[in-house]
Amino acid sequence: MKRMKIIGADLQQSSLRSNLLIVWSEIVKNLKFLLAYPVVFIFWAIFPIFWFIPFILQGLALVGGDTPWQSESFALIAGTPEFIPFVVLGAILNSFVLTSLYGMGESIRREAYRGTLDYILSSPCNKAFILIGKALSESISSTIFAISQLAICVLFFGIQLTLGIIIPVIFIIILLILGLYGMALILAAVSLKYKQAHDLAHTAEYVFGIFAPVRYPLASLPLWGQIIGKLLPLTYALIAVRSIMLLKNSLTALYLEILILLVIDAAVIFLGFYLFNWMEERTKKSGTISHF
Amino acid sequence: MTKRFTQKKRRGIFGFLRREREEKRQESESSDLVVALDHIDVKVHSGELFGLLGPNGAGKTTLVKCLSTILIPDEGTAIINGFDIRSQTSMVRASLGMVVGGERTLYWKLTARDNLMYFASLYKMPRKLARRRIEELLEVMQLSDRADERLEDYSTGMRQKIAIARALLHDPPILLLDEPTLGLDPTFSRQIRNQIRELAEKYEKTILLATHYMEEADQLCDRVAIINNGKIVAVDTPDKLKTMVKETELVEIVCYSPPPDIETHLKMQCPDVKIITLVHEDEAKGTPSKIKLIGGNAEEHISTVIDMLRHRNIRISSLNIGVPTLEDVFIKLTGTGLTEGERAG
Repeated sequence: MKRMKIIGADLQQSSLRSNLLIVWSEIVKNLKFLLAYPVVFIFWAIFPIFWFIPFILQGLALVGGDTPWQSESFALIAGTPEFIPFVVLGAILNSFVLTSLYGMGESIRREAYRGTLDYILSSPCNKAFILIGKALSESISSTIFAISQLAICVLFFGIQLTLGIIIPVIFIIILLILGLYGMALILAAVSLKYKQAHDLAHTAEYVFGIFAPVRYPLASLPLWGQIIGKLLPLTYALIAVRSIMLLKNSLTALYLEILILLVIDAAVIFLGFYLFNWMEERTKKSGTISHF
Repeated sequence: MTKRFTQKKRRGIFGFLRREREEKRQESESSDLVVALDHIDVKVHSGELFGLLGPNGAGKTTLVKCLSTILIPDEGTAIINGFDIRSQTSMVRASLGMVVGGERTLYWKLTARDNLMYFASLYKMPRKLARRRIEELLEVMQLSDRADERLEDYSTGMRQKIAIARALLHDPPILLLDEPTLGLDPTFSRQIRNQIRELAEKYEKTILLATHYMEEADQLCDRVAIINNGKIVAVDTPDKLKTMVKETELVEIVCYSPPPDIETHLKMQCPDVKIITLVHEDEAKGTPSKIKLIGGNAEEHISTVIDMLRHRNIRISSLNIGVPTLEDVFIKLTGTGLTEGERAG
């Protein structure tokens, strides 16, 4: 059969430039949605400040006001006496977990609800780049929060930020985010099939909150809890970031945590893409892909 | 091509725990299966404006979604622009422009330009080319002056125009249009129909137009496939299809206040013809009912029908031996009207 010319673009070619454009367009689209609702700015302005108050009060109640924010008994299991910076760093990294877990699955569900999912899935581009764009746009708000929160840490809790600290921390956060994207892909796949990933994300949020050392060291957990905690990428990211920021360790001393993070990232990203493609095919066969 | 869907029934929260029900469940599963497309086999020629005419639930959207790779058929395949929809999805997608679901499938919080720019990126169009193409399409759609307004401020017809512009962004050789004038007022419907005609004639696009509006299929299409219950029941040019109904086979009765059982009584009196109430009376608007007798020797039953209606004190406004339409063909072939043959799923 004679094929008709497809004018407009060399659609058979998939260049890095065209793929990056997909990621960029997805980020721009999501930011424009965000800006379409101006109330979000009020939230953005006050949230980083309000967010600290419970941690400070909790810290003062536990470690007392005379020797502010330091506890010797806490130092025995945590390796640092500084309770509040310990918890604040935990919460900063945990905010990446929250946006990643809730973001991508919800974003897919919203596309189905709007009726745009059909058009996204029937376009000739590689869907992985759309998903990366979605994940990155979800991380933007987390990053803005993290920067604001770190600024408050520096101003009020004496955390020193030098280039020697910032660069390794960014590296660890990127490794954490990659693993979280893999998990978010798994939830997006669930969202394709079951049209709702919120409850699963909620459960995952609790699993991370309980078994990763967000508010307390891993040693506080019973042995079985520690085993679960050691399966979570957040655990290694927290150990590494606290080690760099509070104990002034270098990246080379954290090679084991970095290696484990890389292994977890590779595994969950592979599993995430595999599950997403599998669920996409299954829902295309069952005819439920556009349902919401 | 065949596509089946399973209609899930609620079986109670703990239904899956009861083993004794398992056998019943397996039995009912087979009856839950809805055949949305039943061995569809049709060829659309290059440059043709091909209509797919059928009521809601006939399988039109399922076919369009299978062709656009949104759904995977259970059996069979389709070749689009020389590419197989099962194994060459990327090239099939690049060859197609699609309008399915209309205005709801756009981002209402974004402007028309932002919407088109985003979808252009999904088709890997370079920014410069995309910008130029978007300007051209906005010009064609007469929406250049409102390109930077959010779609939430657009009318339904304007949003539908943007949906068509999106389908044309990458200048695909083939267009799949599913009910492109659904819900539009007559002015916008006419504009959209003119644009579809222009796309076929001036730009030589191959167009598959799925519609349940018989006038649309009749006016626009080179050939029409009539689809009902997932099966193609006839394919030909509109004129040839209409020859399937002879003038003597077609009687239209316009009357006021017919009782609800009128169709049943007429069917008893004229067993060899198909009887359909095409338009139900609207007392508020003062519009009468329209009843059609199609097939057999409808003409011979005129006196019987008049006697019966008079006997029941039904006021007859007019009685016509009409020129057949595609809807008459549909009624003759399927026994239901285009708006009455709807089914769930």
